[in-house]
Amino acid sequence: MTSRNALIYTMLVVAAMITLGPFGLGLLTSFTSARQFNTESPLSLPNPPTLANYTALGDAGFGRAALVTALMTAVILLGQLAFSVTAAYAFARLEFPGRDTVFWVYLATLMVPATVTVVPLYLMMAEAGLRNTFWALVLPFMFGSPYAIFLLREYFRSIPADLIRAARIDGAGTLDVIVHVVLPASRSILVTLGLITVVSQWNSFMWPLVITSGSSWRVLTVATAGLQSQFDAQWTVVLAATTVAIVPLILLFSVLGRHIVRSIVVTGMK
Amino acid sequence: MARRRFRDTLTGYALLAPSLFGVAMFLLLPMLVVGWLSLQRWDLLGPIRFVGLDNWHAVLTDPTFGRSMAVTFGFIALVVPVQTVLGLVAAMLLARGLPGTGFFRTLYVLPWICSPLAIAVLWRWILSPTDGAVSTVLGHRIEWLTDPALALPLVSAVTVWTNVGYVTLFFLAGILAIPSDVDDAARIDGATAWQRFRRITLPMLRPTLFFVLVTGIASAAQVFDTVYALTGGGPDGRTDLIAHRIYAEAFGSAAVGRAAVMALVLFVLLIGVTLVQHIYFRRRVSYDLT
Amino acid sequence: MKHSTRFVTALAATMVVLLVSAVLMGRTQDTGKTVVTVRLWDAQVAAAYRSSFAEFTRRHPDIEVRVDVVAYASYFDSLRTDVAGGGADDIFWLSNAYLAGYADTGRLLDIGKLLGDGASDAWDASANQQFTRNGTLWAVPQLTDGGIAVYYNADLLAAAGIDPADLDTLRWSPDADDTLGPLLARLTLDRHGKHAGAPGFDAGQVRQWGYNAANAMQDIYLNYIGSAGGQFSDGDRFAFDNPGARKAFAYLVRLINTDHVSPSAADTNGNGDFSRNQFLQGRMALFQSGTYNLAAIADQAHFRWGVAMLPSGPDGRVSVTNGIAAAANSATRHPDAVRAVLQWMGSTDGNTFLGTKGAAVPAVLGAQPVYFDYWQQRGIDVRPFFKVLDGPRLPAPGGAGFPAGFLAIRPFFDEMFLGRVPVASTLAAAQRAANAAADR
Repeated sequence: MTSRNALIYTMLVVAAMITLGPFGLGLLTSFTSARQFNTESPLSLPNPPTLANYTALGDAGFGRAALVTALMTAVILLGQLAFSVTAAYAFARLEFPGRDTVFWVYLATLMVPATVTVVPLYLMMAEAGLRNTFWALVLPFMFGSPYAIFLLREYFRSIPADLIRAARIDGAGTLDVIVHVVLPASRSILVTLGLITVVSQWNSFMWPLVITSGSSWRVLTVATAGLQSQFDAQWTVVLAATTVAIVPLILLFSVLGRHIVRSIVVTGMK
Repeated sequence: MARRRFRDTLTGYALLAPSLFGVAMFLLLPMLVVGWLSLQRWDLLGPIRFVGLDNWHAVLTDPTFGRSMAVTFGFIALVVPVQTVLGLVAAMLLARGLPGTGFFRTLYVLPWICSPLAIAVLWRWILSPTDGAVSTVLGHRIEWLTDPALALPLVSAVTVWTNVGYVTLFFLAGILAIPSDVDDAARIDGATAWQRFRRITLPMLRPTLFFVLVTGIASAAQVFDTVYALTGGGPDGRTDLIAHRIYAEAFGSAAVGRAAVMALVLFVLLIGVTLVQHIYFRRRVSYDLT
Repeated sequence: MKHSTRFVTALAATMVVLLVSAVLMGRTQDTGKTVVTVRLWDAQVAAAYRSSFAEFTRRHPDIEVRVDVVAYASYFDSLRTDVAGGGADDIFWLSNAYLAGYADTGRLLDIGKLLGDGASDAWDASANQQFTRNGTLWAVPQLTDGGIAVYYNADLLAAAGIDPADLDTLRWSPDADDTLGPLLARLTLDRHGKHAGAPGFDAGQVRQWGYNAANAMQDIYLNYIGSAGGQFSDGDRFAFDNPGARKAFAYLVRLINTDHVSPSAADTNGNGDFSRNQFLQGRMALFQSGTYNLAAIADQAHFRWGVAMLPSGPDGRVSVTNGIAAAANSATRHPDAVRAVLQWMGSTDGNTFLGTKGAAVPAVLGAQPVYFDYWQQRGIDVRPFFKVLDGPRLPAPGGAGFPAGFLAIRPFFDEMFLGRVPVASTLAAAQRAANAAADR
C-alpha cells in the first residue's frame, strides 16, 4: 500500500470513528446501571450490564409509542405511494385539460417549507376536532407527496409506450394498466421512494409534538423528548430511549443501506 | 375521439383526486390560513380576535425576532460552508475507489438517517458538563451548551456531524460523473493534482455544488429538533433558531398570530433561495465535451 | 391471479388492517361505566389517587376514574394545547400560577355552583384564596405545599462538626452578620477535602456541595425575596425590580459564583431535579425545598437526614406557600360524574388518601392530621415546614399572562444566575420584558 493510500485510509477510519463513536457510547451507557453510572466514571463499561433502563422505558409507555410510530409510518407509506402513483400516471400518460397547470401547482408547493404549515395546520385540525388523534398524524401526509409525484412522473414517462398500448389492446382499463404494467416496471423507484418516506416519517418530530399530547398517540421522538425532561439527569434511561428511537433505522440501514444511499442520490439530484 | 378525451379527463381527475385533495387541503389552504392568522391575536385558549397589522408591526420591531433571524443567519453561515467542504474532501477521498469505499460511504450517512431529535438528546449527554463523555475524557468540565460563545458553534457542529455523510454522497456522484478522459489528458500534460482539482473537477462540480449549497441553506433554516433537545433556544437566545422561535411563540408564549408572522417571513426568505436555485438550473450550461 | 394483482390486493388489505388497528387503538375500553379522567404531574401522588379512586368506585360502581400523569416540565404547555383543542381530561391539576388563563376564558366549571357554596369551608383557607378569581372559586384545593424548609444530610453535618440544631438559627445577609455563608463554606468540599474559601480550593472539582442555591422560584428565590422585604409580583404585574429582591438575588448569585458553595447554574438552570439528585446521592449537605420532595427523600436517601427551618433574612423569615387544586374542564361530557368525583376529592375521606403515605399535605382540613401522623410514625419531624407558616407568607405568583411573562424572564434569570450579568440592571430589564410579554 502506498503511503498516500495509507494516509487516505487513516483519514477514512478516523472519520468512521467520529461517526460511530457517539452511537457506540450511547449504546454502552444504556446498558449501564444508574448506580454504576453515578458512582464510577460515566465512561466505564457496564459491569454488570443491565436491562433495567429498558424496563423503565416500558413503564414509561415506550412500547405504545413504538407501536404508534410504526402504525403511522405504515399508513403514510401506503397512502403516499398509492396516491402518488395514480397521480403521477395521470400526469405522465393521460391527456386532459388543465393537466400541466395542475402539475405546476403541485411543483409550486414543493417550495412550501414544513415549518410554515405547522401553525395553520394545527388550527385547522383543532377546528375539525382532530387534535390528538391518529388521523391528525397521518392525514396531512397520506394523500400523496408532490415530490414523489414529480419523480414518478419522470419515471413513468420513460416506460415504453408499446407496453401500455399492448395492454390496452388486450382490453385493460386504466387501473389494470397501472397495476399490471406500470407498477412492476417501477419496482426500484418505488423502493427508493418508500425508503425515503419511512425514514422521514419515523423521525418526524415537530408535527407530532404539536398535534398530540398525553400518552395515547405519542410517537417515539416525542416520547424520547418527554423522557429527557421526566428522567432529568438520569442519563442511562434517556440513552436507552435514544437507542430505541435509533436502532430500528440502523437495522433497516444495515440491511438496505446500499439502496438508501442510492435513493438519496437518485431523488436528490432531480 | 371526443369520447376518448372525455373519458381521459374523467379518469385523469379521478386519479388525481386524492393528491389534489391533499395538496389543496394540507399545503395550499394552510398558506392562506397562515396569512389570515398573522392578522389575528390568539392564545390558544381564548377567542380569536382580529388585530390587523399589529402583529406585523410588533414582530418586525421585536428584538427577540431580530435576534432569532441573526442567529439563524449565523448558523447557516457556520453550517453550510463547513459541511460542504468536509463533504467534498470526503468525496475526493472516496472517489479514488480504494477497496472498502462502499462501506465507508454507507457508514457516513448513518447520522443523517437517524432522528435528529434522538441525535440531539444523545449529544446533549455527550456534552453534559457533569456526566458527559467529553467532560470525562478531558478531565474537567466545560459548559459547552450554556456558554454564550460556545453554544451556537456546538449546535452547528452537531448539525455538520449529522449532514456530512449526506453531502458526501452528492459530491461523490458528481465526481464520478466527470468523464475521466479530461482528467487523464490534463495529467498527461503535466498538471498537478491541485491544478486538476481547481480547473477541472471544481468547475464540473458546479451544479452539484450549487445543489448542495441551496438544499443545505433551506434545511439549515428549518432546524428545530436539534435546538429543542440540545439547548431549548440557548443561553440568552443564542441558539434560538427561527423554527424554534416560531414554535416557542405559538405553543410556549401562546402568541399564535405573532408566530404566523414569523412563519411568513421565513417563507418569503426561503422562496427567494429556492427561486435562485430554479433560475440557476434553467440557465445551466452542459459540459458535454464529446 | 397475476403477481401484480396479488401484490396490490395484499397492499390494500394491509392498509385496511392498519386503519382498523388505528381505530381500535383509539377506543378506550368500554366497561359500561362512565369514565372520568384526571390529569396531574406527580407520579407519587398519582399512586395515592389511584387508591383513593378505587375506594370511590367501590361507593359509586357506575363511575370509573382514570389517572393520567404528565411530566411537570411539559405539563402546562400540553395542558393549554389540550384544553384549547377541547380534548383534555375531565379534571386536571392547576397551580395558582396558571389559573388565570383557564378561569378567564370559561374553560373551568364554577365550583361554588357545582358543589354548593358551603363546600369550601372544609378546605384550607389560603388554598381557597389562591384559587379564587373575581369572586369565584375555580378549583377544589387538593394539596397545600406547606412552607419551605431545609433538608439536611446528618452524616455530612456530623463530619463537619456542625450540630443540626444550629441550622434553625441561620441567617443570611449581604452584610457581616451573615451566618449562612460561612456555614455553607464549611460544608463544601473539593476533591482534595479542602473546603470552600480555603486557599487552594478547586471550584472545578467539588465533590460535596453545601446548598442548592439556584434559579428555582418556589424552593429558593421567592423565599429570599420575601425574607429581604421585597416582592415578586403585584396583582397581575411583575414587580421584582425592588431593593429587597435585588439583595436576595445578589446574595444567591454570590453563593453560586463567588463562594462556590452551590453547583453552577449551568447545571441547575432549567434542570429542576439536579440538586435533589445531588442531595439524594449524598453529595449535598443542605437541600432547601418543600414537602413535595419529602416522600422521595424518605424513600431514596441512604444516609441519616432531618429537616430544619428556613434561614431567616434581613427582614425576617418568609416562606412561599403554594397549593394545587383540581379543576373541572367545562368541556367535559360527564358533568354529573365529574361532580361526584370532585365531591369525593374535596371530602375528608377522599383527600385522606393523599396524606396517608405522606406524599403530600391534604388541603381538606379534616384530612390533614393523617399526614402528620404518618411522618411522626416514621420518626421524622415535619414541623419546620409548617412552623414557618406562622410567620409572614408570600403567595406563589400567578395572574393573567403569568406563563408568558415567566417564560420571558427565563433567559434573563439564567444569565444572572450564571453570574454573567449584573443583578440590578438584569432585574429591571427582565421585569420590563415580562410585563410586555404578559400583556401580549
